[in-house]
Amino acid sequence: MSLLDRRLHVNIGKGGVGKTTVTAALALLLAQRGKRVLVAEVRAQNVPAILGARGRGPEIAQVAENLWAIALEPKASMREYALMRLHSKVLYRSIFENRLVASFLGFIPSLPELVMLGKVLHEVREGNWDAVVLDAPATGHGLTFLGVSRAVGQTIPAGPLRSETEWMQGLLEDPQATAIHLVAIPEELAVTETTELARAVRERLALPLGMLFLNRHVPERFSDAELEALSRGFAAPQLEAAADAARAHEDRARRSTRYEKQLRGLGLPLTTLPLLYPERAVGRREIETLAARIEAMA
Amino acid sequence: MSGSLDPLLQREVVVCVGAGGVGKTTIAAAVALHAAMEGKRAIVLTIDPARRLATALGLSALDNQATRVPLSEGARGELWAMMLDLERSWDEFVGRTVAPERREAILRNRFYKTLSSSLAGSQEYIATQKLHEIHASGRYDLVVLDTPPTQNALDFLDAPRRILDFLGNDTLRSLLGPALRAGRLGFKLFQMGSNALLKGLSRLTGVETLEELARFLAEIQPTYDEFKERAARVHALLASDRAAFLLVTTARGGPVEEAIYFHRLLVEAGMPLAAVVANRVHPDHLGGLPLPSPEALADELLREGVVDQGQPPLSRRLHQTLVEARALARLDAANLERLEASTHPSPQVRVPRFSGDVYDLPALRTIADHLFARS
Repeated sequence: MSLLDRRLHVNIGKGGVGKTTVTAALALLLAQRGKRVLVAEVRAQNVPAILGARGRGPEIAQVAENLWAIALEPKASMREYALMRLHSKVLYRSIFENRLVASFLGFIPSLPELVMLGKVLHEVREGNWDAVVLDAPATGHGLTFLGVSRAVGQTIPAGPLRSETEWMQGLLEDPQATAIHLVAIPEELAVTETTELARAVRERLALPLGMLFLNRHVPERFSDAELEALSRGFAAPQLEAAADAARAHEDRARRSTRYEKQLRGLGLPLTTLPLLYPERAVGRREIETLAARIEAMA
Repeated sequence: MSGSLDPLLQREVVVCVGAGGVGKTTIAAAVALHAAMEGKRAIVLTIDPARRLATALGLSALDNQATRVPLSEGARGELWAMMLDLERSWDEFVGRTVAPERREAILRNRFYKTLSSSLAGSQEYIATQKLHEIHASGRYDLVVLDTPPTQNALDFLDAPRRILDFLGNDTLRSLLGPALRAGRLGFKLFQMGSNALLKGLSRLTGVETLEELARFLAEIQPTYDEFKERAARVHALLASDRAAFLLVTTARGGPVEEAIYFHRLLVEAGMPLAAVVANRVHPDHLGGLPLPSPEALADELLREGVVDQGQPPLSRRLHQTLVEARALARLDAANLERLEASTHPSPQVRVPRFSGDVYDLPALRTIADHLFARS
């Protein structure tokens, strides 16, 4: 079975590597393949805007053909969880319409993360979607987020929360259902973090890794001999500018090659996503380019 | 656009803030290095530097130890660096602020573990406490803090309030009041009465969770005023003219949006913002020159005696590269225009993207040259 057939896709990576862009591309690709797809972001909502649509925050809203989006918010997720748990709107109101109590719940460590992750996993479990794509928070926060059901399950005594964590953990750990994808860019810090992330996901969280996306990849274009010939300094300013641009390009390209090789050592299926040169911000057209690229490599 | 950071050298504390992955650590290190070259005793506090940058600064472990960085001959001051271990800093902080007989119980409590490792804002709280401590030691003329990557911009400014709200939460106090007043351990919540709210809550979280939280708050309560006072001292320092904030971003759309938002928060909070630093800006190689056609480039190559061959020919590849570089530069320029308009009148500093990763002292000097006027 292809990785793309998993029901839960999670993208995790260092801040600033373009995780959300990759999330949008993966979600769009799955939707284009005819799946009903939900894309979830944590305490943020950027995917709809990238695709030229509007999201409705914590309310699920359609943003493209076959594609829906949700922004996970602790308050909304808590409300849903509480309603399910208490089986009573009256009881819910008596507790949650007490403003002080609502604020209290925010202070129980891990509870906001637990109910947000719970919401995502609930959507997967209920079977309303062929695929759910989660844009996890950046590295450290992302690991905390994905590890929350495990951490809570290990530390709290048996009780309502603990039984929640058990089914959540079962779904997350299921290699038939879940794939944790890593997103990196060809820069030292990002590559180091990706290597550490892969180990943490595999060993500390014991979750099934999926693909590795190497974003902003630049292909090599100039040979050593050409760079040498271009390095001597030209009187013509446009040619000199072109030589500068060529050096900058090749510097990025060679790092792309080097870090790609290093990341292949992780043994995950690696997809390179090209650096894009959009006229304005990254939009639907760029996302389609990246989606096609993932399709070709998958 | 460069050289406008010189007034920073008159400050005692500089805090670098911004989204993850924009190069805060590099900018922080470049500021400290420049101060040291100018005769200051400067220290940079960092959380999680790139390995090669750590090596360049002589740092090998997260150990809260100040390490002196050897500088070249011309340096008139001293450069020090320290990697912050935030969990250890919390333990040390509790060691200093909590009475010995309560310490063990606190350090063992699950809520303390969450507080010291993953409660939103706790890293920021302890990092600024550490900053204050090092500043107060009087050993350095300038302390530069590279802030931890925050989940959102609010975390940093909000950290003390959030931590204090957690520790001093009035709702918790009134709900768990009897136990807190008695200050005794091992009580059972449900012996404390039949509070409907507590019962409802316990159906969500479990009874034990509430009990452990109550115990934690009972233990920490005598220290609460100390926590609060220290937070107030840090806030007073950061809001004073002895401190300055550097808002660091790249020219990409996402970080720019975050920087604009963060700028507003800093201004609203009355924090002394020294400048907005746009890092890794794609240079416009052509300056104002028009884009040359592949044919024009071919002619110039011919004139310079460079063979125009390959598949596609060199002139075409150069043309393509210029087109792409110009697109990147234009996109950056448009984003920076928006940044500047939205963060007016804060001074703007731009640091170009350099070839290669910036991970040694000479590269940090190059960055510093863009931040400061050359003396």
